[in-house]
Amino acid sequence: MHAVVILVVALLVALGAAPVFAQDTEALRKELEQLKRQQEQYQRAIDALSQRLQRLESQPAPVTTAPPSGPTGPSPANPQSQMAPPSATDLLRPRQPFALYQQRGSGQLLFDMGVTGDFVGNITQHNVQKSGTGTFAGRENRFFPREVELSLFGQIDPYARADVRIEAGEEEPGAATGVSLAEATITLLTLPYGTQAKLGQMRNRFGWSNVIHEHDLPWVDRPDVYRMFLGEEGLAEKGVEASWVPDFLPFYVQVLGGIFNGDNETAFGHGRLTSPLVTGRVMTFFDLTDTMALQVGASVANGETPERLRSTLVGYDIKFKYRPDGWLHPLLTLASEGIYSIRRTERGVDVNGDGIFDTFQKQTRNSFGWYGWTELQPWRRWAFGARYDSTQYSASPGYQWAVEPYVSFYPSEFLRFRLAYKHTDRTQRDVLDLNGNGGSGRIMDEWLFQATFILGAHPAHAF
Amino acid sequence: MIRRISALVVVAVMVAAAMSPPAAQAARKLRVVTTIPDLKSLAEAVGGDLVDVDSLTRGTQNFHEAEVKPSMMLKLRRADAVIENGLDLDAWADVAIEGSNNQNIMRGGPGRIEISRGVEVLEVPTTRVDRSMGDVHPRGNPHFSLDPGLAPIITQNIVDGLARLAPEHRAAFEQNRKDFLAKLDSHMVEWNKAMEPVKGSKVVVYHPDFIYFLTRFGLVQAATLEDRPGIPASPQHLVNVIRQMKEEKIKVILVEPWNDVKLANRVAEEAGAKAFVMATAVGAVKGADNYIAAIDYNITTLSKALR
Repeated sequence: MHAVVILVVALLVALGAAPVFAQDTEALRKELEQLKRQQEQYQRAIDALSQRLQRLESQPAPVTTAPPSGPTGPSPANPQSQMAPPSATDLLRPRQPFALYQQRGSGQLLFDMGVTGDFVGNITQHNVQKSGTGTFAGRENRFFPREVELSLFGQIDPYARADVRIEAGEEEPGAATGVSLAEATITLLTLPYGTQAKLGQMRNRFGWSNVIHEHDLPWVDRPDVYRMFLGEEGLAEKGVEASWVPDFLPFYVQVLGGIFNGDNETAFGHGRLTSPLVTGRVMTFFDLTDTMALQVGASVANGETPERLRSTLVGYDIKFKYRPDGWLHPLLTLASEGIYSIRRTERGVDVNGDGIFDTFQKQTRNSFGWYGWTELQPWRRWAFGARYDSTQYSASPGYQWAVEPYVSFYPSEFLRFRLAYKHTDRTQRDVLDLNGNGGSGRIMDEWLFQATFILGAHPAHAF
Repeated sequence: MIRRISALVVVAVMVAAAMSPPAAQAARKLRVVTTIPDLKSLAEAVGGDLVDVDSLTRGTQNFHEAEVKPSMMLKLRRADAVIENGLDLDAWADVAIEGSNNQNIMRGGPGRIEISRGVEVLEVPTTRVDRSMGDVHPRGNPHFSLDPGLAPIITQNIVDGLARLAPEHRAAFEQNRKDFLAKLDSHMVEWNKAMEPVKGSKVVVYHPDFIYFLTRFGLVQAATLEDRPGIPASPQHLVNVIRQMKEEKIKVILVEPWNDVKLANRVAEEAGAKAFVMATAVGAVKGADNYIAAIDYNITTLSKALR
């Protein structure tokens, strides 16, 4: 009996469960179909991603891709223009400065930046070191960073550009390195009638070499005439400079005029716009042939010394280059610059012979200095040159001459090493002992060396 | 002193006022200056009789390192438009243009035309680059101007730029462009035919400025004589290149007229190959006097050399 009951119950349970199994099977079948569809979708997505990856991987190796169609075929869009704009996270993420400079396209840095480093050293006689009158006065027999410069430059807007240069360098022996503003200018580019205006702190366009920064000079040191008449760093002033390039002449002429504070410690220095330093320059240029060119200029600067005495400098400059066709550098460069100084000075007069000046007389002192330079660069990496300097002193009697042969080695466009020997002969000993300790810089023999690098952007230089 | 400065300012204003305004441009041809001679040839093709075109450089020069001369500034001073390649090939032109004091062609000015817009740039670095890799171009290889397949884009940029200055001549510029491209198309058929048998051939180049041309005609740049762009080759690198040329049976070295042709010849001799001076620009070699002639010269040279 029990067995019959159990059998009936089992039968009932089995009959009742049958629709449930059928329902489960249907659900499973649907689920399987859905999974299959999903798998197909995933497969399509994977295929699409694989194709995209292949396309992206093939881009850096275009030589292996099939040649495009004929010249009038459809042009592909610039891939750079398809870059997504950077997100806020991208902008906030720290980036290395060079990577920041390199980034172009969306999110690019809107100006250029570069760093130049200029290290110099010199070896000279002990008496020259004692006198402190070497080429790098006060830093004789030292190796030091003369000018490490951070440059930032670019367009401000469609009408103007800005150039900022901040430099650091050793000014006197020791661990300290001073940081200063070397240049900061705004140039108004869209003025009418071929004019431009530049305002701020700048290296003046007086002669052709004064405007060049230390690291870009073709020599280790500035020519003596500049150092004697305008100080070790030449003429750099704060003010306004306007230029005009006429378009009706058959050759290039640039006319410049400027008004500056007059802060130069050597020639001017009154430092007020009520009696400013006024500068002017005319420069012209001739292509003699396709391979030879000549640039000629004349400059003038007129201002007052700190003693409120008038000081005028008149300069000439001439430069010739021969660059054989197709050469990446000039084979021969010849140049000369000269400055004639007309300067009012005060001379002490001892009336009663007691050794003490009783009165001061004003007088005009005229002096002249110049240099001639030649450089031969037969190979891309090597240049050989020499400079001859002859300069009277601007505020005192006497003169000096010097000769400086050198050799430059360029491992690349961005790295240069230079070795020079400089012999200087001065007429006076007394006035040259700056330290008053018996040293003498009358005859100087110096070995000068220089290492210069450029990192990042660096603007080209004209001629 | 204030009186002197005031007088100077008054004189300057009077001089400026006395100078006549620029002559009406409609009455004369547009004065166009290009940075490289390839663009001069294309600008002449598009501008026709409506333009006077001059180039700042010659075809025999290395455009990376052109020296900025004031004579360039004089040409630019009188220019209505300046056409530049872009992609940093002619970055030096900025200095010349600024020295020209010509407001119309300053960056952002109406007369500034850059022809790299829309060009699919090759060799755009996909990883971080720095100068240990040589004189690399972060925005990609800029030597695209002599790829005939890019002439439609380049000439369209020139048309758009010139029409910005002389909208009344747009139709004429468009027609000139169409005629030029039709002529180029007919040459392209011949060029493709000439290059068909040598497709897939490997060549060695001195400097990587043929990549667009090689890609266009299905050739492969196997190596460069320069160790890295702009860096003179080291002896070890040359040994490796010679070994590669021998192993891969590469028979041709392409060299620019401004590069070290003697070195290319020496390497070619060692590798049992031959070096060919190519028309890297219009005017780079004799007979490459215009855009089509320059490409024709390269096609003829290569198709013969690779057979």
